[in-house]
Amino acid sequence: MILNVDLASEVPIYQQLRDRIVEAIADGVLTEGSSLPATRSLAADFGINFHTVNKAYDLLRQQGLIRLNRKTGAVVTPTAADPSFHPEWTARARTLLAEAVAKGIPADEILTTCRSVLDSFGTTLPEDTP
Amino acid sequence: MTVAIILSSVLSVLVLVLGLVLPAINSPTVPFGVRVPAQHANDPTVVRQTRVYRWRVLISGLAAAGLGVLIYALTGETLLLPLTVLLVVGAWYGCFFLAHHEIQAAKAAGGWYEGLRQGIAVDTALRTDPPRFPWLWLAPALIVTVATAVIGVLRYPSMPAVLVVHYGARGAPNRLAAKSVGTAFSLVFVQIGVTALLVGIAAAIFFRSRADIDPARPVGSARWHRRYMSLGAKALLGLVALIDVGMLGSSLLMWTGTVTSWAPLVVVLPILAGVVVAVVFLARNNRVRDEGEQDTGLTHRDDDKYWRGGLFYLNREDHALWVPRRFGLGWTLNFANPRAAMLLAGVLALIGLLITLRFGR
Repeated sequence: MILNVDLASEVPIYQQLRDRIVEAIADGVLTEGSSLPATRSLAADFGINFHTVNKAYDLLRQQGLIRLNRKTGAVVTPTAADPSFHPEWTARARTLLAEAVAKGIPADEILTTCRSVLDSFGTTLPEDTP
Repeated sequence: MTVAIILSSVLSVLVLVLGLVLPAINSPTVPFGVRVPAQHANDPTVVRQTRVYRWRVLISGLAAAGLGVLIYALTGETLLLPLTVLLVVGAWYGCFFLAHHEIQAAKAAGGWYEGLRQGIAVDTALRTDPPRFPWLWLAPALIVTVATAVIGVLRYPSMPAVLVVHYGARGAPNRLAAKSVGTAFSLVFVQIGVTALLVGIAAAIFFRSRADIDPARPVGSARWHRRYMSLGAKALLGLVALIDVGMLGSSLLMWTGTVTSWAPLVVVLPILAGVVVAVVFLARNNRVRDEGEQDTGLTHRDDDKYWRGGLFYLNREDHALWVPRRFGLGWTLNFANPRAAMLLAGVLALIGLLITLRFGR
């Protein structure tokens, strides 16, 4: 799995790392049981402080996407529906979509973008979805 | 006398040729150890400095070699000939540094990195699913070392009572020692020490070095890195085997009581052949091939501040011990890492020990 970090981005590096790993899980590049590198070796590979990688892994652990273990390291957990996740995610999606509407992007274009992003993850939509 | 001239000439030519071809085999985005964005890889300053560098290397290299030969002709001192090689290396670095300095100045004046998105890319599979170390390539070195030891044991009773243990610069033996296990098998100990040291370094680079992935084309860059790591380890293990062959040849001369002025060549020629083959193999694969991968829009971060003189890497915040060289072939140490100092001290101590074992009275 290739992890890219944009040093000019306003998004903090730990957040970028967390986002890339979430995308890799959605893409199917990382599946249940996939191992992530140890924090120190990933930090050494990026040439960054290992606390930054720790913070990204901790976020993923809190969100139930990975489990951290002394023996096995960071491992992707099975996908399971979390009842508390949906409302929180809906709120974030609402803000993101609101930004698009506020910027004047037409609704059909927003839908097309959403569909192409989902397609890129290999997610199939029901045929009657507009 | 003749052997010293041949060896010094071959080494000087090797350094000169390597100096001339290096700009063509190095990464185009790190000309003369200066990190530049891809769009400036063919900047007029870079092109001009490459041309000027080649002329400087050729002229100063030939002048340095000529000076060495002239001094030898006047003084007849053979020990001065190896210094010619050092002089050629020094001349090469001077040419390199001038080009490095000019390109760095043009980069700063032109603001080549302004407005670019700098990034870092990492292939996590290199840690979670690392490439396999080519352990099989260690077999030739082990076979040669074991064969040397076995031949030595079989020949020990028939060996001369006095053994030649050292040759002078003029190719004549200048130190003899009474036959003992320590003197007869001194080169076998050297074989074991050199093999262990170089295999340790190869394994450390293979498993612990940091990959320099191009964030603009990370997939092809990571694929190249895997191939290059494997090739580098094979080249180093092949070189170890040839060093051991040199020791085997030298041991045979010692054990049979053969005295010849060509004895140094028996050691040096296999090593030289190994170095040439390793350099050619690494040089042919030193550049990432363009596989048509789509550009991510990111540019490799400008990390010039961590490189002193374009060659020496010093970064206290970086935990990596081995990093890919910016100019040249293979890898270099992170000299700001305390383990680098320990490793260098260890290597020097081992070399000292081997020399004492081999040549000590």
